[in-house]
Amino acid sequence: MNSPDNPHGWLAERTLEPRWNPLVSGLVNLAVMLAATFACWWLLFSTSGVYQLYTPLLGFSLVIWLLLITVWQTEIFDFWPLSRNFLRQANPLAKGGALTAMMLGVYAVFILGLFFYLIGTYGITYFNWHSLTTHGKLGQDVLSARETTSWAYIALSVPFFWFSVVFALGVGRDVWPTLNQPRLGLANWLFVAVLALPAFFLLFHPHIGFMFYPAQIYAAVPPWWKGLAQTTSSEFSLGIIFDSVIMVFLTIHLWRGRPWNLVEKQPWRFLLLAIGSLALGLALFKTQLAIMDYMWDEAYIGGQNEANFGWRYSHTVTMGAFIVVPAMVLNQQFGALFKRLGTLAAGLLGTVLAVALGLGFAWLYYEFGPALLGVCEGVSHPSENAAAFLIMIMVLLNIQDNFMDGWPGYRLKR
Amino acid sequence: MKRREFLKGMAASSAGVAASTMIPFGGKALAGRKKKDIGMVKSVKVQCISETSWFDNATLGKDIKAAGGINTNQYDVVYNQENLGGYAALIEVEALDGKKTKYLLDTGWSNDWMDYVFNKDGIDKMLKSKEIDTLIVSHDHIDHYWGIESTLKHQPGIKIYMPGGSMEKSFQLLKGADFKKPQVKNSVPHTGELIVTKVNKIYQPQTGMAIVYFDAPATLQVRGENVVYFNVKGKGIVTVTGCCHPGVLTLINYARRNFAGGEKNYGCYGGLHISVFENWDPKFDDIIAGVKHYDMTKVACNHCTGWIWAEKAKAAGIPIVMGTDKNKSYKKVGTLAKAKTSNVYIGNGDSVMF
Repeated sequence: MNSPDNPHGWLAERTLEPRWNPLVSGLVNLAVMLAATFACWWLLFSTSGVYQLYTPLLGFSLVIWLLLITVWQTEIFDFWPLSRNFLRQANPLAKGGALTAMMLGVYAVFILGLFFYLIGTYGITYFNWHSLTTHGKLGQDVLSARETTSWAYIALSVPFFWFSVVFALGVGRDVWPTLNQPRLGLANWLFVAVLALPAFFLLFHPHIGFMFYPAQIYAAVPPWWKGLAQTTSSEFSLGIIFDSVIMVFLTIHLWRGRPWNLVEKQPWRFLLLAIGSLALGLALFKTQLAIMDYMWDEAYIGGQNEANFGWRYSHTVTMGAFIVVPAMVLNQQFGALFKRLGTLAAGLLGTVLAVALGLGFAWLYYEFGPALLGVCEGVSHPSENAAAFLIMIMVLLNIQDNFMDGWPGYRLKR
Repeated sequence: MKRREFLKGMAASSAGVAASTMIPFGGKALAGRKKKDIGMVKSVKVQCISETSWFDNATLGKDIKAAGGINTNQYDVVYNQENLGGYAALIEVEALDGKKTKYLLDTGWSNDWMDYVFNKDGIDKMLKSKEIDTLIVSHDHIDHYWGIESTLKHQPGIKIYMPGGSMEKSFQLLKGADFKKPQVKNSVPHTGELIVTKVNKIYQPQTGMAIVYFDAPATLQVRGENVVYFNVKGKGIVTVTGCCHPGVLTLINYARRNFAGGEKNYGCYGGLHISVFENWDPKFDDIIAGVKHYDMTKVACNHCTGWIWAEKAKAAGIPIVMGTDKNKSYKKVGTLAKAKTSNVYIGNGDSVMF
């Protein structure tokens, strides 16, 4: 997020140039990314790896927050506390290492420290699976409790994600035009938190309150969206809101920030982001549901796997994420190839490519994922969630591009 | 729908841009179906030989967690042997002419436990005398299949219906194998007829009875499940399951769409695979609403249904068949008995008549 001292923000200010031919640079970066993806998967997620986070929600809850933190670092805090001088001069590996360490540090303090240990131990039971197993009785063993807690963190990330994106792009420094970092970032971040927390309590807390027996009716009202969503699961809200974030990501990576950056005056820019992102997200959500209805007949209340409303709502996000990954690759690793094209032509071409590559990527994942990654076979498997894999890749892509200036294929133009 | 078609169809769901190229893959879902007349039986009695697949949820959870979680291959987990039980049921079918036939559904997990419960209910004698000559394996999960030796040692030539999606190691186990890590072995190779069930085919061991294979996902990398249907004269369709991984409403809807007379679902027996570890999710409340909609007469559930689901379903007005305290007289009891829960399960030694 820009500020009076740094009016453009580091990502807008910097210019990257391919180290070699643009195609070669992109391919090298893609190869590095693939290697990093497989290494991280086996280290962190694989059931035969070190940390075995593919439960699948435990790992999902980790990477979704890491991705959000990269957005905070780059778009809200504009790389604070690193100085512009450091960002311009430092070796990409040192810079990437520092920013990745900061990303993990923020996760450790905000999620592990504040929510898991402090709030989860002394405030809200479901934020700490140890609290659930300690205070809970039948059904609260570690395997189930860990998934319940992981779901709570995923749910918490949803409103934080949407408000963060809307504030970063739709508000910027307009509420506090005279503030510099970190005051500006902190002010906006607090604004995001003040709005995201009530949204979490409205949209997700009732779901979590009903994840126990008996339902926690004195702490959480019964899911009020049941008639609207045809399910008591909050995957309804999750689907629409995450789809909105996905559409904003696609406009940033494929459409050079259009249409959001066409409007400068407030409150119109904010309203455009808020309403426009939800409208686009709803369109993505509804379009996919209509296709699913055609493919598999309509879902029905209480249906399982692909016949389940909640699964379908979540799966719109998964499939959207399959499109976002190639969109990010096209922009971050092969963006130089599209440079000469106008915004409209680049946007149209990029969209067609991203959709085609995303569908191909989905097919590859479901066809070869069981053999290559050790994930479960099938699309609607109850304990499979491709989003964990996809969001991990997004985090790695942001580390490579935003934190390391596209190393090794790209470098900072000095 | 075949998996490949399913996957291609899935890819199509992401964007309208691609929809037109993928439409043929979804055609079958909308196609009209011709209903099959499977005939009728006079009655069906299901006896619960054992529904306690393990005796302590937390212990099994720790074993699975230590091996890498619920998505680990079941043959890569080291299980606490003291904790193992198994799932099996005896199905007694009375044909319209009064002839009675017995089927064994599943063969449990721990051989010690299965030998004990088989002896308790006289299953061992029925196997030896070939009063039971058919084993229907619902799926090859640890607790439904790994006790295969307990059946084969009494009748190696028993006819077996095996789900087509079973793991390669499960077929090896049938032929005789010893897997050290998970501590499962079978020293009596199967010598009889093996029918490996496939999707889109209805198998009929006798009139009024059908076995249908569903390509449904399950935990520990297991896939696919055989489900047994009966058309009971004057009552309607009765569904008997091992774990019901496809989902109870999927099974009900399958009968409605594919069997003549399938509109009337009279009842069901077995694990319904909902709140397996007594965990809960609001989605499970949806299943209660869905099952209630079909107005069944007898819902006899146990095993992986989850006591919480059965209890909530009963409170919601679903006709849950109540069990007895017989299970408490067995040499071992499970988590629910220790927690002194209500008898909403058809427990070990209980039976239900349809």
